[in-house]
Amino acid sequence: MVEERRILYEHLDVPDINTFDVFRQYDGYTRFEKAITEYQPDDIAKMVMDSGLKGRGGAGFSTGLKWSFVPRDIKPCYLCCNADESEPGTFSNRYVLEKNPHLLIEGILICCYAMGIETTYVYIRGEFTLGKKMLDAAIKEAYEKGYLGKDIRGTGLNIDIYTHPGAGAYICGEETGLIESLEGKRGQPRNKPPFPAVEGVFGKPTVVQNVETLCNLPFIVGNGVEWYTQMGPTYADTRANPPTPDPNTGTKLYCISGDVNEPGVYELDLGLTCSELIEVAGGLRGEEVKAVIPGGSSAPILTHYELDTRLDFTSLTLAKSMLGSGGIIVMNETRNIVDCLLNIMKFYAHESCGQCTPCRWGTPWVRDIVQRIADGDGRKSTMTRPKFGVAENGRWGDTGETEEIYEDLDLLESVANNIANVDTMTWNTICVFGIAVSWPAVSYLRKFRPEFEAAIREGKLVTLPVAEATVPPEENYAYQQRFIPKEFADL
Amino acid sequence: MSDELIQIETPFAFNEENQREFDALIGRYPVKEAAMLPTLHLAQRQAGYITPAVMKYVAEQLEVSVMKVKDVVTFYPMFFEEPVGEYVIRVCHTLPCALRDCKGVLDHLKTKLDTDVAAETNLAKGTTPDGKFTLMKVECLASCDVAPVIMVNDDLHKNLTPEKIDEIIDNL
Ligand SMILES: Cc1cc2nc3c(=O)[nH]c(=O)nc-3n(C[C@H](O)[C@H](O)[C@H](O)COP(=O)(O)O)c2cc1C
Ligand code: SF4
Ligand code: FES
Repeated sequence: MVEERRILYEHLDVPDINTFDVFRQYDGYTRFEKAITEYQPDDIAKMVMDSGLKGRGGAGFSTGLKWSFVPRDIKPCYLCCNADESEPGTFSNRYVLEKNPHLLIEGILICCYAMGIETTYVYIRGEFTLGKKMLDAAIKEAYEKGYLGKDIRGTGLNIDIYTHPGAGAYICGEETGLIESLEGKRGQPRNKPPFPAVEGVFGKPTVVQNVETLCNLPFIVGNGVEWYTQMGPTYADTRANPPTPDPNTGTKLYCISGDVNEPGVYELDLGLTCSELIEVAGGLRGEEVKAVIPGGSSAPILTHYELDTRLDFTSLTLAKSMLGSGGIIVMNETRNIVDCLLNIMKFYAHESCGQCTPCRWGTPWVRDIVQRIADGDGRKSTMTRPKFGVAENGRWGDTGETEEIYEDLDLLESVANNIANVDTMTWNTICVFGIAVSWPAVSYLRKFRPEFEAAIREGKLVTLPVAEATVPPEENYAYQQRFIPKEFADL
Repeated sequence: MSDELIQIETPFAFNEENQREFDALIGRYPVKEAAMLPTLHLAQRQAGYITPAVMKYVAEQLEVSVMKVKDVVTFYPMFFEEPVGEYVIRVCHTLPCALRDCKGVLDHLKTKLDTDVAAETNLAKGTTPDGKFTLMKVECLASCDVAPVIMVNDDLHKNLTPEKIDEIIDNL
């Protein structure tokens, strides 16, 4: 069995690790001291680039690369730490804030030193009252001990950290939504470009980074790049010529919930498979895995055929899904996929910020179609049409058979694909929330179509046995690489 | 003019403690408007909910128009424009909690408190007549590992069962 490797979470359960003195006993702030005494800011930025660290908040964008886009001559530059954590199925940041807030502060200090940043805002979701309290207390202590404020440890560095509470809107986790919200407005995402790295909060260059991403920094500086890159796989990206290395280095705080015996956060090297993770989390609760959501509710679903998919950024992108925030939700054979999709679509319909027409109207529309199907009122035509699929010549085309027309399923796919097209990876919206809506909608439908059809045919929700409910990979282009996905560039 | 349209409002102002906290807040941002969310949280804690008088006061403090404050208040689910109960009970009903029977939790609370679930635009619907509780559904509270969960005001309660819920409510 795969062993947990606790790095970020190593001292999480040490009593009073949230206090400066205990944190200090466990190497606290020594990595920051090492950074300021042994390295120049540019060295740190280079180390982060070389470490291959990818953002843990959702987009999986290379942190070092993001930093390199920040113009060094425009000051002030801001750091926004994204502690909004609202993606359903994700709960790793909460524990850092509540139990080990000094680790986050140390990460922030290292980032600030590397980027020449003097002001950091930690945007904490409004419901995290305990997390905010703990972080506020830790920040206060760090000021008292001279690790924050003016002229830190006599180096001339000035760094301030402020916490900023959200107020219950999921979309404020999107980086430009977060920036708008921080400026005291509605959290409606901005058009990009300009990217926050160039023009972010208060019109200044801004680095937006997830809590977990920042917590990796002390360990990269403390133990070195070589140590860090040993963890997790590095692939060769053969789309480039010559192939470029595609690192998935480090550990990930996998959050696993749903039908497993021991749900929780497990810190493991990137790149273990889905079934291995279920094993680590105490095994499945139930008889059979029906489906797994690999990266928060926005990620396309995986079927039991895909349990050997490795849970890292690259492998999941190639499987036409994503690691996202690392929130893994497992469903067993008793679950109805239509019902699950309905739950998720209610979430998105509630959380759309309402700026773009396709998202504002399309998302409730998708929800209503799924609701109709779940209520047993799904629409089906009496006519048939030629069936498309993998034809005799092995290519996609007319199979020579006919199929029944389920109008509502066609409509569902069409509406979802018009918010954001999951095949071409193009979106008709300002932010990628659009994709977060159509990805689950289309993938659940394509991969578990029999269950949707059964609900319409029978006029009620029918939970089929796993084998019957799932479309096998060879028959379905949902699994196949029809297009090479454009990088999910949400920088 | 009909009677409903005439609103008699008690004016609002921060008490001493909140004024001090507000003064500290405002220095954190290069523009005053940025203190909007923390200021509204403070005001809501003091006033119970965001009345037109609160909006007017916040607008004056932050030197923005009242419309701008209203704009923000209507966007965020955590700001209430109607009175709520002394205890606001938030029941998570997103997928991971749904897989652990959050519906049972909600139903149990509905019967126990003998109230419906509040709608975002109609909080009175989920508020008990004695003004003690407001029951509402919320999205994922980032505690799916200990699902099903509820929040009672600022406190999170995990791994709920009917017995646990009874205990929590009875101890309030
Ligand atoms: C709809 C939406 C919601 C998001 N929610 C979060 C969130 O709750 N927490 C987070 O860290 N990132 C979230 N992100 C990703 C951020 O936009 C951004 O990519 C991230 O904070 C960058 O930090 P990282 O590079 O360290 O991951 C969200 C993105 C989208 C499109
Ligand atoms: S896609 Fe949706 S959430 Fe994103 S900006 Fe448009 S309306 Fe808002
Ligand atoms: S779904 Fe309830 S806490 Fe995440």
